[in-house]
Amino acid sequence: MNRAKGVVLFALCFVFGRKQSSGKERYLILITNNPKFQSDPEPRCDTEYIAGSYRDVLILVRDRIHQGHRLLSHPLSGSVKPNETPYKSILISKNTGGLDMDSLQIIEDSISTCDKFMQNPIKYGHNNQDALLADFSEVDYRLIVAAIASASR
Amino acid sequence: MKLELGNIFIHDIQFDDLSRVENGVLYINEEELREHLLEDENISSVSFDIAKPGESVRIMPVKDVIEPRVKVEGRGGVFPGVISKVDTVGSGRTNVLKGAAVVTTGTIVGFQEGIIDMSGPGADYTPFSKLNNLVVICEPVEGLKQHAHEKAVRFAGLKAAAYLGRLAKDLEADEVESFETPSLIESFRQYPDLPRVAYVQMLQTQGLLHDTYVYGVDMKQSITTMLYPTELMDGAIISGNCVSACDKNTTYHHLNNPVIRDLYARHGKELNFVGMIITNENVYLADKERSSDWSAKLAEFLGVDGVIISQEGFGNPDTDLIMNCKKIEAKGIKTVIITDEYAGRDGASQSLADADISANAVVTGGNANMVVNLPPMEKVIGHVKLADTIAGGFDGSLQPDGSIVVELQAITGATNELGFNRLSAR
Amino acid sequence: MAKFRVVHYINQFFAQVGGEEKADHRPESREGFVGPGMAFNAAFGDKAEIVGTVICGDSYFNENLETATKEVLGLISSFKPDLVIAGPAFNAGRYGMACGTVAAAVERELDIPAITGMYKENPGVDSFKKDIYIIETKNSAAGMRDAVKVMAPFALKLAAGEEIGASVEEGYIPNGIRVNFFEEKRGSERAVDMLLAKLAGKPFTTEFPMPDFDRVEPKPAIVDISKATIALVTSGGIVPKGNPDRIESSSASKYGKYDIEGVFDLTESTYETAHGGYDPVYANLDADRVLPVDILREYEKDGKIGKLHRYFYSTTGNGTAVASAKAYAAAIGKELVADGVDAVILTST
Repeated sequence: MNRAKGVVLFALCFVFGRKQSSGKERYLILITNNPKFQSDPEPRCDTEYIAGSYRDVLILVRDRIHQGHRLLSHPLSGSVKPNETPYKSILISKNTGGLDMDSLQIIEDSISTCDKFMQNPIKYGHNNQDALLADFSEVDYRLIVAAIASASR
Repeated sequence: MKLELGNIFIHDIQFDDLSRVENGVLYINEEELREHLLEDENISSVSFDIAKPGESVRIMPVKDVIEPRVKVEGRGGVFPGVISKVDTVGSGRTNVLKGAAVVTTGTIVGFQEGIIDMSGPGADYTPFSKLNNLVVICEPVEGLKQHAHEKAVRFAGLKAAAYLGRLAKDLEADEVESFETPSLIESFRQYPDLPRVAYVQMLQTQGLLHDTYVYGVDMKQSITTMLYPTELMDGAIISGNCVSACDKNTTYHHLNNPVIRDLYARHGKELNFVGMIITNENVYLADKERSSDWSAKLAEFLGVDGVIISQEGFGNPDTDLIMNCKKIEAKGIKTVIITDEYAGRDGASQSLADADISANAVVTGGNANMVVNLPPMEKVIGHVKLADTIAGGFDGSLQPDGSIVVELQAITGATNELGFNRLSAR
Repeated sequence: MAKFRVVHYINQFFAQVGGEEKADHRPESREGFVGPGMAFNAAFGDKAEIVGTVICGDSYFNENLETATKEVLGLISSFKPDLVIAGPAFNAGRYGMACGTVAAAVERELDIPAITGMYKENPGVDSFKKDIYIIETKNSAAGMRDAVKVMAPFALKLAAGEEIGASVEEGYIPNGIRVNFFEEKRGSERAVDMLLAKLAGKPFTTEFPMPDFDRVEPKPAIVDISKATIALVTSGGIVPKGNPDRIESSSASKYGKYDIEGVFDLTESTYETAHGGYDPVYANLDADRVLPVDILREYEKDGKIGKLHRYFYSTTGNGTAVASAKAYAAAIGKELVADGVDAVILTST
């Protein structure tokens, strides 16, 4: 007997097709591994900091999407590739509803893209380039701050 | 709106006591230009170098490339809202120093990037190896923040290009090209039987080091809008985009947008090029929905039969590209999209981060992950030790003999998504 | 430089052994070229030479895939070739499968470069385009001369270890590997050309085919699940113990329909998986893990669903052609609709 799998499958057939309520979420959750957000009071939204990799952030966001949160910013923000920067910040909705298929599609595609780039040599962190890491942190930070500005308009 | 471009062909650049253009040679008084650029209090020092086609020279890291132009007749000045006051440009006559460019370089952030090789295999991949380049190397004042540093370098490049452009103000052009876009009504009267086509240009607008300015406006703050194509030829759109050298559009690309040129080339013969739409590539997903809704709405409003959509960048913009394509196709308007690919070093991976069945007509600028070996150059302008931290470079990229093993990503303009190059992939 | 030694693989028809009546012709080899090999040999000039030809009937090959491949490979390797050419098969399906199988096995097992040629709709194309270079040919043997013109120089290039260009330059069927090259026109001009063709309803070729989507729009949700009849369908290969229909462990040629009237739990002694693409241990211990009969019976009893449909359908998904899967789905769907099933839980692995 394995109940768990059956329950999940069963749950899925309910969740698919349920209509997602539209309307602009005013409340955000920032999911990030960028240490700059730990010290910075600036983005006035809930922040969930994880001490993990770029990919870990994507996976956590995917899990939240499974729980009904909506993706609000693009996971592949920035032209800095997933094997170049260690940092990633993503906005999701605070409120939850049914599974949002668009969000799920984008996060899954982004995870695939991340995995594709991670097959290439990792380009950050060698030679103790602290300054380089600080720059990656700054760019990730600025891009998501721009997204938060969009959200607050 | 009608614009004439008076091309003055430049085949050499030299430093001299008097800045001038004479017999196709651009002479530059370094001191005068340096003082002009040092007026910016954020810049502590400026130096110049010259790189010519065929030389054993490598320029890196390249920030922007700008073609010197000057307004000769008609409203406004080049780079309106940035260098010149805000005024509608795109009509009258503009002189161009064809064959010359200003190249800015600097280390704004550690992973700042972009390589131009003036000879060797790398030269085949960048259009800028064919130009006579004045390289501007700016150092910022101590402690200048990245965003202020980027802005200072951006302005230095534009100011240098405008300075050089002014030397062409009273010159007789070697060649005059003419581009005209009449009103919608007029163009319909002229060519009632030709398919009506518009150009949808997507602009990089994600934030720091990923921005584009239109008449000085940060495009991520704007809604999708329309321009006359000739406005770009006067510098209505400038690049503040410093990341992903291969598929970012430099200001040079905007001034010489190839889609605009090739649509004009067929205008009145096989198609009726009615105008262009510019849209953004914001990080916030609701912005994407709104902007792509507007692209589709404006395309519908223009009553076009088809559009060409060009992209800028990778990942996040793939989603905008597909949204634009899908929504415009859904209006019954045919699309062709121009993109590039990240198919992995072996070419075996899925190329785009987003995809849709409606995107059935795609032009590609090639696989940016392809690895190239750039042999050592006799002279390097800029900062060669950055090779390891350049996008597309990797640990050990810089070989002991001075050669660099990098992905095409690192080469400025290599997989341009305006279709500037002949490079493609299958 | 010494000439490359080439072995040519052809079927009974091209070897002039006979037509369909000789399709069970067993593998044999002959010295030098036979039939179309003459054209290849001429095209090779002084760079290569066909040292031997291996011939096999299409029916024999396809019906005895494993042994025939082994036999053919043995005959090929006895000539110690540097290069193997199979076919071209044009639009002949079984010949295409044979050519693809032989060429792929030569590369994999003998580590010798091998190519074949086929018409783009030959079923061998989809099966082998990722494993070997397949030069695109016309749909009949009338295209032999053109095929040789492309295949011979390409084969030489491959044998010499030269860099292989993009599919459009070399003439092979796109294999999913993206290769850069310089076009004659710049991208923007290509875009304008493509748009004009698209607007005029003329054929055009996209430079980047989108991945194959076969998305199905989700149906509206079931209004009252407690009244609904739910069926189970799986590509996870769950079958009654012993696999009565002999559903293949991969590349399934059929699906099975099984009565679960009175079955409340799939146990180790009653059900198993026929699937060869995953570790079967946990599915064999408890097939409910793939096909949740147990939990649906419970829901049925509790009134959470109307009822579980009397039959479940099963096939193995790995290596099964999309076209076959579609055909199974159409047939299964028709029966389910006829049986008044409201919803299906489709499980994979």
